[in-house]
Amino acid sequence: METLDKLQILSGAARYDASCASSGSRRQGPSSDIGNTSQGGICHSWSDDGRCISLLKILLSNDCVYDCAYCVNRSSNPVPRASFIAREVVDLTMEFYRRNYIEGLFLSSAVMKSPDCTMERMVGVAEILRTEERFGGYIHLKIIPGSSSELVHQAGLYADRISVNIELPSQESLKRLAPQKHKQAILEPMSFIGKEIRQSLVERRQSCRAPRFAPAGQSTQMIIGASPESDFQILRLSEGLYRKMNLKRVYYSAFVPVMEDNRLPVLAAPPLLREHRLYQADWLLRFYGFSAAEILSDDAPNLDESFDPKTAWALRHPEFFPVEINRADYGTLLRVPGIGVTSARRIVAARRFSVITPEGLKKIGVVMKRAKYFITCSGRPFEKLDRPPALLRSRLLIGDGSGVAVQEPPKQLLLPGLFA
Amino acid sequence: MSRYLYDGTVEGLLSAAARIITEEKDPETAVLEERENTLFEEGMFIATDAAAAEVFFQRLRRDVPDAASTFYYFVLAEKEGLETSLLHYLAQALRYGDRVKGNLTHPAVRNVVTVSRKASRELHRMKGLLRFEKLRDGAYLARMEPDCNILQPLALHFSRRLRAEDWFIYDVRRRIAARWHSGSLQIGSIEEFVAPALSDEEKRIQTLWQAFFRTIAIADRKNPGLQKSNMPMKYWKYLTEKQGE
Repeated sequence: METLDKLQILSGAARYDASCASSGSRRQGPSSDIGNTSQGGICHSWSDDGRCISLLKILLSNDCVYDCAYCVNRSSNPVPRASFIAREVVDLTMEFYRRNYIEGLFLSSAVMKSPDCTMERMVGVAEILRTEERFGGYIHLKIIPGSSSELVHQAGLYADRISVNIELPSQESLKRLAPQKHKQAILEPMSFIGKEIRQSLVERRQSCRAPRFAPAGQSTQMIIGASPESDFQILRLSEGLYRKMNLKRVYYSAFVPVMEDNRLPVLAAPPLLREHRLYQADWLLRFYGFSAAEILSDDAPNLDESFDPKTAWALRHPEFFPVEINRADYGTLLRVPGIGVTSARRIVAARRFSVITPEGLKKIGVVMKRAKYFITCSGRPFEKLDRPPALLRSRLLIGDGSGVAVQEPPKQLLLPGLFA
Repeated sequence: MSRYLYDGTVEGLLSAAARIITEEKDPETAVLEERENTLFEEGMFIATDAAAAEVFFQRLRRDVPDAASTFYYFVLAEKEGLETSLLHYLAQALRYGDRVKGNLTHPAVRNVVTVSRKASRELHRMKGLLRFEKLRDGAYLARMEPDCNILQPLALHFSRRLRAEDWFIYDVRRRIAARWHSGSLQIGSIEEFVAPALSDEEKRIQTLWQAFFRTIAIADRKNPGLQKSNMPMKYWKYLTEKQGE
């Protein structure tokens, strides 16, 4: 088979992997012949679905022995199968990298024969890139659940980031939809990787020659909407992963039905709005000092589709507001709907020079659309603060008539082109 | 309020700012403009003093490194008519230190920071969107038409990344090019650009990349608006993956 055909099959099979970050690692200097990485990451293109492309994202093979219901590569699905040899992946990576198409390689794979056999071949690709080609760009390796810790260790030494996919947020769903995968086989390597990363950081503090283990950390991914878990369950799981296993990112991937199976729900469209709300809640966990229990509860276990999770929290907690822009600390500012990390930092920095006036607030770039209902500026409110909650909700939904009024909040993001 | 004029060069701008900030009692009320040599032009002309400009820039780099880099990007943005804002910004930076960048309610600071952010953002974008093509002699060539004059910092980025190759980056609109050859970087202007022949394998690699670009998108999630807002169409002209679409 030609490289072009293989590339089409194996990149098409990899497109449901959401991770594309090339950040978090600083690989520089003369230890390699070509390439370096940038701490903040660099996006090189954006595909037609609007998602960024920064890595050559491909599978080594889609010839899978597993039969997971949600997966396009399941063994019972009649799709064309292909496998790369290591040299083909290496050449593609190097040729693309020299032309500045990509920041590096993201390599995953279907399970060929056994997890160990697959992992060994994937590590082999990274080894050629690092030692033969002396490649210093970004490498992200997917860890196949069930592969030996020796191979995971080697993968971490060659790669910048490694990841194990959780796939489904609970043991029951795994059992039902991915019978060959087990929770233990997924969580064990994750905690092993977490330990190795911590240990490598300690060693590198003592000697800069100590080897780096996955300097950009580890991430994971789960599929949203293929199984019945609530958003609360999912968020609590993510919270645990961030706090206990020190993950850099949890990716959520809206379930795109690629085949029919009576174990799977029938969806009119991928749950993109739900995915979006989960990402917003995820950001609240990581950057805004929220806990999962503040965002959701057993009584209200799913995220509101019409409001972002922070606005929903603010509507439930009127006693917290109004927040005084000129006095509130950074953490309190972050709780105001519409004020994000950038705006909160700017407010704190600008206050050191002069009192912030309402005009000043707009000038430093704070978006007032939602914030104006929740703040005061030197004691003066922007809007009447004792509005009944129902009126406030409708104002937040349809605006105050000054902007473009949205009549009905969209239940689900409509995808142009889907019904054409 | 005093009015000053300078000759329109970067060195002239720095020498004028240096002199006004050291000599003027209240530099934050002074006005600085480019000299246009019209009959009724008012203001005192400050002659360019390259040595003084260098000394002043080194002082900025030492005392207020963030303001020095803001100044650098401000110049790259090639925005005209904001010299007075820049003067007030630098005077404030030397008074308050680097935390001045937070004083965004001040119009001069906001103007300068906004303009300089535009250049640094485009530089970051171009680090990803620049596309090299392999030439018959084995060197690589990239063409671009950025809004800001980012050739120099962009070439520095690639000199650290593609160390072993020989390459050119050509700014088509400004007719300047950077050349990396056997480990040294040169930047100069190009009078007449003749597109050199591509290597034989170039077409094959480009086809592979275009195929990857097409298949990596999830058809069910097609979102051209998002694609355009992340990757504005003005950059598509030289993007390998957007050719022949």
